[in-house]
Amino acid sequence: MNLVSESLSLDDYEQAVELFFERGWTDGLPVVLPTRKRVEALIAYAGRDPQSSLGPVPPKGGDATIEKLAINAVMGGCRPEHFPVVLAAMEAMMDPAHNLNGVSQTTHMCVSLVIVNGPIARELNFNSRDGVFGNGYRANAAVGRAVRLALWNLGGAVPWDTDKSTLSHPGEYAFCIAEEEEDNPWRPLHVERGCPAGSDAVTVFACEGPHSIFCYGTPEEMLHVLADSMCSLGNNNMHVMGQTLVTLNPLNAEEFAKRGWSKQDVRQYLWEHARRPLSDVRACGVVHEQFRKMERDAGRYPLRYDLDNPTTRLPVTPSPEDIHIVVAGGRSYFAAVLPGWGGFGGFAVTRPIVRPKR
Amino acid sequence: MEILVPVWPAPNTARPPKTRPRSLMGARLALVDDNLDIPFTTRLEALLGERHGAKVERLVKPSGTAPSPSDLVDAAAGAHAAIVGIGL
Repeated sequence: MNLVSESLSLDDYEQAVELFFERGWTDGLPVVLPTRKRVEALIAYAGRDPQSSLGPVPPKGGDATIEKLAINAVMGGCRPEHFPVVLAAMEAMMDPAHNLNGVSQTTHMCVSLVIVNGPIARELNFNSRDGVFGNGYRANAAVGRAVRLALWNLGGAVPWDTDKSTLSHPGEYAFCIAEEEEDNPWRPLHVERGCPAGSDAVTVFACEGPHSIFCYGTPEEMLHVLADSMCSLGNNNMHVMGQTLVTLNPLNAEEFAKRGWSKQDVRQYLWEHARRPLSDVRACGVVHEQFRKMERDAGRYPLRYDLDNPTTRLPVTPSPEDIHIVVAGGRSYFAAVLPGWGGFGGFAVTRPIVRPKR
Repeated sequence: MEILVPVWPAPNTARPPKTRPRSLMGARLALVDDNLDIPFTTRLEALLGERHGAKVERLVKPSGTAPSPSDLVDAAAGAHAAIVGIGL
């Protein structure tokens, strides 16, 4: 296989691992060493030309060739069958609608979450159930970290350099879940977003870490808690809208469905009730006010809300469709809200996972 | 064992800096508007012209959080100097 990357000949394992720290090629954790054999196995599995490219990775613009992505995927712990998921996630992140340039450099603490849908999630043992945002599953960890390492080594998204996140969150190491599709009464996320039922896809969305919501009871009781949690005044969404993500566990979803609530019903209710009066929002101070004004002056803030009336109730997103709902986690009484970056970007983008022809 | 490098080599050709204008008077300035703080940028544009005699060309980015389009970068490069990075 004709690969063009510079190569190093090293005989000592410890020396090789340390070299990745010394050269700044890793994110703070040791890596799986990207030997030629491992890298070639990923490229061969995907059946892609190693020099074909997904384009420049923002912000620094390193070329995302299949070869370079495979090297970073090996470093993250991927097996060959994980690589098509990594490629789909990178394609989605690099869609201009996601604004990866901004996501990587903002002072906000959003990180692009990778959500895997379709039969491939079960086949590759992605976790979609108990502890879904946590550790313990190679597929979630390896695909999540492969993407982050590609952003690190090709995009130059490095803290103290171009990554200006004030606090960030641990998802900078790996931030990947699968949606639970078997124990789920509703259409999965990727089908809602236009993919055929039964297909494989990845959706990326830049968001904060999961905020725990004690969510149990009747649909109305669960929605009351969720709506309150979504419109916290600290959310960017509450000031500049954008998109937000709600993760319901399978028991939550089952309770809604048993009482006749569709996912769209839940979304509509949340959009109508996750609101704060303008007087509350204004009380946050002039900087918040300035943010909102900037968005309005730039034409990015819906003008239908009367910002001169203190009783106006502002929603967290411009439309119900900007509230994404995913079913994942254990059958319990906790859900999660993951606010987005706001109207600046990080919006959800879905891409099919292209399986190699066999 | 043969290890492959995960990054591209750093480009070793830095562009030579442009000669700085000696004065703002009569200089053509590209004011790259990040579309974030429009009143501030409007006031800055006025002051540069009124107080310092600069000829300001205001170039508005579609979004303050996305890279400048290439035609905007080309237009800014044609000025004597450019003001960028106007955020909050």
